[in-house]
Amino acid sequence: MVRQVVADVLLGLAVVTTLGASVGVLVMRDAYQKLHFVTPAALVAPLLVALAIFVQMGLIENTGETFLALLFMVIAGPFLSHATIRAIRVRETGDWRLRKGAGDVGRTAGGEKEQ
Amino acid sequence: MVMAFVAAAIAMLAALIPAGVVLYRGELVASVVAYEFITSVAVMVLALLAQGFQRPALFELPVVLAVLLFGSGLVFVRALERWL
Repeated sequence: MVRQVVADVLLGLAVVTTLGASVGVLVMRDAYQKLHFVTPAALVAPLLVALAIFVQMGLIENTGETFLALLFMVIAGPFLSHATIRAIRVRETGDWRLRKGAGDVGRTAGGEKEQ
Repeated sequence: MVMAFVAAAIAMLAALIPAGVVLYRGELVASVVAYEFITSVAVMVLALLAQGFQRPALFELPVVLAVLLFGSGLVFVRALERWL
C-alpha cells in the first residue's frame, strides 16, 4: 500500500514536470530559452519514472532496463543540448566563437589573451 | 494492468501537444528543440506503458529509443548546422 502511494506520487511529479516543461517549450520566445525546458523532461522526469518503477517492482530486470534507458538519457542530454546550442549559434553568427566586440577586444572565446 | 502507470503515460502524451505545436509552427531551430523534447517524452511513455501493461519484453523499446535519441539528435543538429 505504501509502495503504491509513493509510486503514485512519483508518477504525479513526473507528469507535472513533463507538462510544465511542455508549456515552457511552447511559450518561451526563442530556441535558446526553449532548450532549457527540454532538460526537465529529459533528465528529471525519467528519473522520477524510474524511481516509481523501482518502488513498485523492486530491483528486478524491468527496473534495470529502465535505469539503463535513464543512464543513456543522462549521458546524451548534456551533449545534445550543447550541440544544439552550438548549431543554433553557427546558424545565427556563422561561427560558434565569440566575436570581437567593444567589450572583448584582445580576447578569444576561451577568455585567453591573444598574442 | 497497473492503472497509475497507464494514466501517467496518457497524461504525458498530452504534453506532446504543445511541443507538437512548436514543431509544426515554430522556426526550424525551435522545431529541432521540440523534436528532442518529444523523443524524451516518448522514452518515458514507452517505459510507463511497458510497466502499466506488465510486459517485460517491451522494456527493450525505451532503452533502444534512448540510444537512438542521442544518435538521431546529433544527426539533426549536424544537418541544422551545416545544410539546413
